[in-house]
This record gives sequence, structure tokens and C-alpha cells, in this order.
Amino acid sequence: MNELFDDFAQAHARQNGYQLAQTLSPVAPPGQPNRLRAIWQGTNFHSVKGDIKHFIKTNTSHRQKLDHTEVNGWVEVYMAYWNAIGEILAGESGKSSWTKVYESWKELTSMLIRGYNSFGFAAWTIPSLYMVGKYLRLFAIKSDEERNRTANDPAVGASLMQDDFDSETDKQGQLRDCEQHLKRIFTLCLNDRAPLEESRKWGIYFIINLLFKTYFKLNSASLSRTILKTLAVYKDKGDMPPLEMFPKSQRVTFKYYEGILFFLEENYVEAETHLTEAWKLCHKDAAPQAERILTYLIPCRLLTSHVLPTKALLANYPRLQELFLPLATCIKSGNLRAFDLALQKGEDEFVKRRIYLTLERGRDIALRNLLRKVFLAGGFDEPKEDGGAPVRRTRVPVAEFRAAISMGSGGDLIDPDEVECLMANMIYKDLMKGYIARERGIVVLSKKGAFPGTGL
Amino acid sequence: MMPSWPATHQAPGVAQQSTPASYAYPPSQSTLRPLSTIAPMLTSVSDPAFIPVTVRQTFGQYAPVASNPYGGYVPPPPPVQPQMTTASPVNGATPAPEPAKGKVDWPESVRNYVQRSFLPQNDEPSVSRADIEAKLKNTIGSAKEDGSLYTIDWDTMPLPQAFVKAQRDAELKHAVTPSRARDSLNPKKRKSSEFANDDTPWRSTNSRSSLEDRITYPSPEKRSAMDEPLPKSSKFQKEANKRKRRFENEYKSLRSPSPPPPSAGPIVGTCDILEKKYLRLTAPPVPSKVRPEPILRQTLDLLKKKWKKESNYSYICDQFKSMRQDLTVQRLKNDFTVSVYEIHARIALEKGDIGEYNQCQTQLRSLYALGLKGNPIEFKAYRILYFIHTANRTGLNDTLADLTTAEKEERAIKHALEVRSSLALGNYHKFFQLYLDTPNMGAYLMDMFVVRERLAALCNMCKAYKPDVKLRFITEELGFESDADAAQFIIDNHGQDLLEDRTEYIAFLTGKAGLLFENSRSAAFRKVDIKGQI
Repeated sequence: MNELFDDFAQAHARQNGYQLAQTLSPVAPPGQPNRLRAIWQGTNFHSVKGDIKHFIKTNTSHRQKLDHTEVNGWVEVYMAYWNAIGEILAGESGKSSWTKVYESWKELTSMLIRGYNSFGFAAWTIPSLYMVGKYLRLFAIKSDEERNRTANDPAVGASLMQDDFDSETDKQGQLRDCEQHLKRIFTLCLNDRAPLEESRKWGIYFIINLLFKTYFKLNSASLSRTILKTLAVYKDKGDMPPLEMFPKSQRVTFKYYEGILFFLEENYVEAETHLTEAWKLCHKDAAPQAERILTYLIPCRLLTSHVLPTKALLANYPRLQELFLPLATCIKSGNLRAFDLALQKGEDEFVKRRIYLTLERGRDIALRNLLRKVFLAGGFDEPKEDGGAPVRRTRVPVAEFRAAISMGSGGDLIDPDEVECLMANMIYKDLMKGYIARERGIVVLSKKGAFPGTGL
Repeated sequence: MMPSWPATHQAPGVAQQSTPASYAYPPSQSTLRPLSTIAPMLTSVSDPAFIPVTVRQTFGQYAPVASNPYGGYVPPPPPVQPQMTTASPVNGATPAPEPAKGKVDWPESVRNYVQRSFLPQNDEPSVSRADIEAKLKNTIGSAKEDGSLYTIDWDTMPLPQAFVKAQRDAELKHAVTPSRARDSLNPKKRKSSEFANDDTPWRSTNSRSSLEDRITYPSPEKRSAMDEPLPKSSKFQKEANKRKRRFENEYKSLRSPSPPPPSAGPIVGTCDILEKKYLRLTAPPVPSKVRPEPILRQTLDLLKKKWKKESNYSYICDQFKSMRQDLTVQRLKNDFTVSVYEIHARIALEKGDIGEYNQCQTQLRSLYALGLKGNPIEFKAYRILYFIHTANRTGLNDTLADLTTAEKEERAIKHALEVRSSLALGNYHKFFQLYLDTPNMGAYLMDMFVVRERLAALCNMCKAYKPDVKLRFITEELGFESDADAAQFIIDNHGQDLLEDRTEYIAFLTGKAGLLFENSRSAAFRKVDIKGQI
């Protein structure tokens, strides 16, 4: 107990928010596995309030003295904290539940938010909001899992007045509830009118990232747009410090999510910009993070600029290599059949990461590469006049393309109309320049750049 | 000895079993009042609508006998009439008329009543002892005053707890709307409100002395209202609603003591009428208006017959909605539930009611997930087609994630998946072949997006083919029934100038179309009807 508040006082003396946040951790530090238990056993229900007040006062007295109301605020916070770790410890011995842990942690969150609203907590202490918010979300997820495990029909009374069942919403009830509280922290940071140096606005990106994570988990990623819109309003007013001034870790996460939002909206150009930014900011040793960014950046690049990942890049990320290398090889060689198989093989993984529908479109590039080969194999026309530069044969019979596509698709003969349809698509998407003269059964390709971007 | 009733009396109360028995006042009184009016009398002494009754001391001696003048008939507890609501604020202030002069000989029944009020089994946590005492004083005091002390059937008189609660509820009903609004907007203003002097405990938990009020906000709902800068305070609202509901329930159970108190569990319906109009629930459902499963099964058979015979969709849809509601409020999740949703989904599909269809398929998804029997293959295929129609990538992705390898090989699902991939890759040739060979009722869904896909294909063709193609080619590639249909489609999209009659065939001048169909195409893709989408 004394140790806890010694840290507390020290953090206050140094105005070290992260040190302060550590005192509100629900996890014991590696060096002191018994810390939580020690705190819990340091007092009891009857004297907890008095004890905490005493410890705060004695520990801060010879250092930075705290304002009377602020002390009261912290007493409330640490009382809630003490209760919460009581639940956590009880849970470890099977005497409590994650739901109870969540409820008690929620109380702590409320107390902390109240500290800012009513007891004048200073802005440097916002890392404690990070700590509390982070675990609030984790406990909510645990609680949802627990409830879904134990109760088959968790809805009690809720669905009584509905026309239909609402099982989906209920499965993540706690996380939805948690979102409400994270939103409160968001508002708390957003609406601070103090001068920038001592503003809670510096907490905004941390909490936004937390909200993004929550929305993605709730399968309603689009709600993140609301947050971004609100943020944009403040940015436009010049009422928000620029992103560049925030810690790098927060910027990477923010850019990553922003990129993914565009990715899910099929705006691959924007997605690429944001993901590239995240990629560049990402610490070189943060492999898991880099891997996640690349998971979306690679499909993005495939569609926007038809660029495949190099072997050297993939070599650093075995999982990504497994995911993308077979596809990349097939796209490169224009092997449609193998592409389909590779896509099918990785389908579950791709679907899980929500990149399946994007990668599927890589088939266009594979097809383009195949058609290009046909064009190359066609060789050159006789120069019209002696000494003229050789000109590639630009009138290619549909039959030749048909043979190639049939071979590429595994050998079955493809309907000529379907071949034309696929060619029409290539032309429509500007992957190939030229036109189909159906009556004559030939494809007339452009003399200059029949396959844009491929050097032909 | 029984008092003799005047001949003019036509045995009040007993004649109509439905109304509570009324006890006549002494013959000298011209008005006969049923017992139920005693409740307002007790509380609203100043009520002008009521005629004051003078005490008749002489009547006292008959009291013990008179307590049950109709032999074995014990009247039910009197309903509390809503009038008493108006009286409430007065009674807290009225001093209980404790007679200082001499000892009053309280009748046995009154003493029993007082005793009963304090029995532990009648204890009500929300009503304090002080409240009970005040109410008792008030009740008995006014009964004594107006002479009804011996006429009231104290054995069946509701306990003071019940009165207090009913009264609070009534107040709440009056006050809830304005006070809630005020709370969320400016909780501190509470002091100046009209309830400043109110002393009922449920409110006193919220009102506190002015000094405290300025410093701390110990109650959680108040706190959240303070923290939230916007006057949303949904949590508070919820609390208030919960409270309101609780009180309403209590009020109701007091008024008609026969139905069991509402429990948290699912209700079991008792209604046996097959058809029922759909009404959105605004209050917890009443069992007598909910049909149990055996009845619903009969309803389903009836509706199936009616649908075949009459095909009146608005009637059928309404009936199905009420069935779904009955299933939901009773928490019936079984194979029968699945069939109700499946049949409604099919009918909605047939009628192009995409919103209703979507509600059904959403339910079906979670019902299948419970392992219930039905036609999951058919409906999972529809689901894929539906998400293609609404261009819902997230939904599509989730649906793909739900499918097992075996399911992907089932014909209907395989078909839907091929439809999806052919569209993703712009393979309109394959798409329209699939369109012409759609299993089950999938064509109803495909019809919804076939037009926009035709436009997309036309755009494709107009850019790729030069100088022209035969109209027949368009007819075949885009799955039209005839050349005439294809031509009509082109004309409808302002392509009349692109059609050229060349004696042996009609040519479609793709080379001259330019970007003609692009606008129609993007317009068609833009207005995806997302009504009822999750």
C-alpha cells in the first residue's frame, strides 16, 4: 500500500503521467508478482477510504503537495481501484467473474473521468486514462466471452418487447457498453478548453485508436467514420494539435486504421497513402505491426499500381510469405488455374483478414500477363517498307487468346464468347488497349502500349 | 343483529359480480358509495366532488357484525382508483388527526389491520416504516373522522404499503416527463422544482441538502449526467425508464391482483384466436394476447392456405409479423420458429419486399447457428445474393466466413458463389448464364440487380467492340428473352440511335456509343436499396 502511494507521490512530484498510470495497472509488474495482493491485503472495506487518504497525504506531504479537492478525487479513484483488484484477485481463485471485474473496472473508469471533470486532475495525468481505458476494453471482451460460454440465452427481459430476436447485439453487450465509456473519455479529451500545453487534447489519438479497435471488434468499423468526422471539425478549426506532434506509436496505429477504413470502402488509392505512411512510421523491429500493415498494403498496391511484393520483402515475414507468395507467383506467370487454386487454398485466412474480395481481383492482372504473353508470342509483322523498324503484330485472332486462356484455366476449352467477354473486361479496365472486331474474329491491339505499364 | 336496509335499496354490489361489493352507508345517507371510493376519501379531504359524511356514533355497535353482511361472500380488495393521484401532495402535509381527547376504542378489525401492516411478510423494501406509520395514521384518522371506521372492511383493505406505492407511481406518471427532461439538462436546478418539499423516499434519494448538492454527486446516474457535456445521459434515462416500468408494474398488479406479478422470464401465451393484427409493442406483452406455440402452428397452416387462395400480401405480412412477435416474446426458438421465418422470407421475396425479407434472413442466420432444422443451404444462398444486391462487402465477407467447405459444394450456394465471383471479375458472360439457371427462388433476388449488371456489361461492350455487334449477340450475352426485349432495353437507356436495321439482322453500333451508358450505369449502382439492412 505504502509502496503504491510512494510511486503515486513520486509521479506527482515529477509530473510523470506514465509512472502514475502504472499505479493503476491491473497487472502486477514482472518484478513484483505479489504487488496486487499486497495492495489488496493492505487494507479492508472499513478503513479503505481513510487508509488511502492517509497514504496519499503522508506520501505527498514532503514532495509536491496536492490540492485538497484533488486528494479527494484520487481517494475515490484508488478506492475504486482497490475494489477492482479485489475482484481480479478473487477471479484468479475462481471466486469472481470477468463480468464483476468489468463492472468494478467501469466504476474505476467513471471515478477517473469524474476526477477530471470535478476534481481538477491535471492534463499530465492522462496516461492513467490510457491505462484504465485499455483494460476496460479487455475486461469487456473477457466478460462477453464468459457470458457467451456460461449462458446460452443471455437475454433476460431485454427481448421481451421486441418483434424479433436480437442475438447478435447481445453477444457483445459488454463491449458495446464499454464503447459508451470510451466515448466519454473521447469527449473528455476532445472538449478540453485549457491552453494546448496543458490540454487533455494530447490524449485524443490514444483514445481514438482504442475506439477504432473496439468498433472493428464490434464488426461496425464504419462507426469509426463518425469519430474521424468529429476530429476533422476540430482540425479545421485549428483546435487540435497536428498528428505529427503525437507519439509515433499512436500515429502508426491511427494511420493503420485510417488506411484500413479506406481499404474496406474499396478506396484503394487513399488506403495506400495512409498505409504507406503507417509503414514508414512503423518501428523497424515491430514485426507484428509491420506485418499487419503489409497485409493490407500489399493487396492495395496490387490493385492500384499492379505491383507485386518482392521475394526479399516477403522473406522477412514468413506468415506473409505463405499468404502472398503463391498468389504472386501465379499472377506473374499468368497461370489462371494455379491462381484460382492458391486463392481457394488461402480462402479462410484471406476472408478472416477481409482481403479475399480484394485479392480475388488480382486475377485480372494474372489474365493481363497471360494475354501479354500471347501478344509477345505473336512476334512481328513484316515491315511495310524495307529498313523500317519491326512492328509487333497487333491483329491477333481471338482463337489464339482462347487457346491461351483455355490452357491457363486448366485445359478445358473455354466458350469463345466468354473469352471475348474477358478481353472486353481487360479493355474496359484499361489493362489492355485495343478493340474486338467480332465479325472478323480478331482483336486489334494498340500499336503503342497495348499493355500499359508493362513496357509494351 | 343486522341493520335493516331500506326497501329502495336494490342489494348493491352483490348483484353485479364484476364490480367490487359495495357497502351501504347508514340509511340516513342518500348516496350509496362503493368501498372503492374510500381510497380517495382517505387522501383528498378537500375533494369538492365528494359529499362529506358525518360520524354516526350509534352505528358503532353493529360494526363487528356488519363487517360481513353478505354471509360467505368476501369481496375482493377494492381497486385503487386513479383519482387518488391528484390528492397525493396534500396528504403529506395534513397532520394526522390523532384524537387527543380521551381514549378511542379501536375496533378489532382496525387493530388487526395495523398489526398486519407491520408483519414482516408484508414488508416492502421501498416503503419505509415511517411512511407506513404516516399512511396508517392518515387512513384510520380520516376513516374515523368521516365515520367509515366501522363500515370499512379492514380485513380486505389494501395495506398502507400498497397505497404509498400506488401514490408514488401516480406521481411519477404525472411528473416523469418534465422532471426527466430537467434532470438531464440541468440537474442542479432540481432544488427549485415543485417537488422541493416532497418527502417520499424514492425521490429523496435524489434530492439532498443544498450544500451537498453543490459539491458531490454520489448517485451514479447523476454523475454520468454531469460528466457528459452533451445532455444525452442515456444511462440516466435508462434508469428512469427502468424505475418507471417497475412502478408501473407494481401499480398494475395492485389494481388487478389476479394476474401473477410480471417476472423476468419469458411469458407463456394463453390466447387461442388464430389471427392477430400486428401491433408494435410499447409495453410488456400480456399473456392473454399472445398465442402459444400449438395455436401458432394452426395459424401458420391457416395462413398458408389463405396465401394460396387469396395472395393478399399486406394481410399475410401483417399476420406473419404478429406471429414473429409472439414467438419472440415467448422466446420460442425451435424448428417451428425456423419454418415461420423461412415461409415469411419466401413470401416477402416473391413480393419483392426486400426489407421484410432481410429481417427474416437475419433471424434465420442466428437460428441456423443454433443448429435448428430448416433449409440453411437455400437461405444461405439467398443471403449471398442479397449481399450482392446491396453491394455489402462486409456482409459478403462475413457470409463467406460462415460457410463450411461442404456447404460451398452445395448446388445453391455454389451457384450464388459463382454469381458473386463472376460479377467481381466482370465476367458478364458467365453471370447471365448463371442467371438463367438459378435454383430455388434466387431469381427473385437476381432480378433486383440484373438490370444494373446489364448496364455494366453494355458499358464494357461499347468500349471493347468496334465497330458493331449483332443485336442477337446482346440478347444472348445479356440474357434477354428476345431481340425485342434487348432492343427495348437499349432504347429505354437512350440508345435508339445505336440500333441499325441491316435487312438480315439488326446491328448495335457499339463503336458509336461512347460513354452513353455510363451515367445510367453509375446511377443504377448508386441507388441500391438498403432498406431494412442490418
